[in-house]
Amino acid sequence: MALGGHLIRHLGAFFSHRTALLLRPVTQSCNTFCVPIRLSSHAISLSQKTLLNSKSVTDESQPEPPSEADKIITSDVLLKVNQQIESKSHGRLFAVIHLCGKQFKVTTEDIVVVEGYWPPNIGDKLNLKKILLVGGSDFTLIGRPLLPHGLASVEATVVEKSMSHTKTRFRKKRRKQYMRINFQRIEYTMLRINSIEISENVNTKKDVEGLEDTIF
Amino acid sequence: MSNNNLFLPVGFPRAPLANGVGRWICQLQRLTFKFCKNYPSSRGMREFLEFELLDFTKKNPGIVVYVKPRRHRAPNLTAEYLNGEKQIVDCRNFSYEEVKKWVSLLRSQSGRGTVRLLKMWHTDHPSIQGPWSPFVNRDPKLNWVEFPNEDLSQPIYIEKSATEKLIEIFEEQQRIERQPKQE
Repeated sequence: MALGGHLIRHLGAFFSHRTALLLRPVTQSCNTFCVPIRLSSHAISLSQKTLLNSKSVTDESQPEPPSEADKIITSDVLLKVNQQIESKSHGRLFAVIHLCGKQFKVTTEDIVVVEGYWPPNIGDKLNLKKILLVGGSDFTLIGRPLLPHGLASVEATVVEKSMSHTKTRFRKKRRKQYMRINFQRIEYTMLRINSIEISENVNTKKDVEGLEDTIF
Repeated sequence: MSNNNLFLPVGFPRAPLANGVGRWICQLQRLTFKFCKNYPSSRGMREFLEFELLDFTKKNPGIVVYVKPRRHRAPNLTAEYLNGEKQIVDCRNFSYEEVKKWVSLLRSQSGRGTVRLLKMWHTDHPSIQGPWSPFVNRDPKLNWVEFPNEDLSQPIYIEKSATEKLIEIFEEQQRIERQPKQE
């Protein structure tokens, strides 16, 4: 995964957004979104370069200015990704969502269970907004740490609210005459993921940002 | 402490009949309130019927509600689900709030019964970009390497032995001593 990490670092340098972009592994033959050979070889050589001169990698304060070749690769990749997003030819998407303190990797039709008290009721439709990552078969959008608002949307339905089996909570301190036994049942909320969509193009600069949820 | 839960049925999160894909259906179909009109053990149940039942039926038009008074017997709640399962909750001496809570729980369950969940996640599509293998994200040059290969046969990183470190320090000292002093 080292290559992926370096690619993010390289490409991320030119992004105006809080999104990094990860290429598909270059060794595998691509089906729909075909990374040109020139591009893939560049990607590899770039990563090797960064691996070799480790000083430039560790020196975070002064990143290397992007070279012309890097810029061409970046715009090329962005164009391809945006084409896929516009034509919706990316196929099934997956996302990593942050839900009640846990992270889940989900695709559509998945079931996720939230433990503990959680207000949503059965039949409710939810829009999960904390999205850490969205990916298709050919590309991955990585949030830093979250994806920008409105770039992707994950919708879910509350399918079931039930309780766990009776769990025994037993505490004992040796030689202290202390013994407690409690029985508890935890609430479970079952969610069905209905859709994962990318609604905007990647790397578009908006006039106003961060005011989506603000009420004036 | 008991390990009763070890003998409970175990399972993974599933929703019956692809519930929630496209449409969502409340799995509770029938709910029967059985109670006595004058015994105090049915008091909470009677209060629920008096104050809450009509609201409940209006909010849940898909659930058939039966109210069955029976003389001098303990109250209970009987829930019948779409999968044919039946759950009975004994409501003896329950307060109004307790009855309310149990009704809402019976309403939101799927009738699967209590299982010990082994995972909090279920998917039919475990991998979209393909499962990881040692060759993912590797240099394609590795494809035409001929084996046996001396470079690849080496360990990636060998820690220096103490002897080697000592020799290194000694050589460094020698080098410094050999340098002409700048004075």
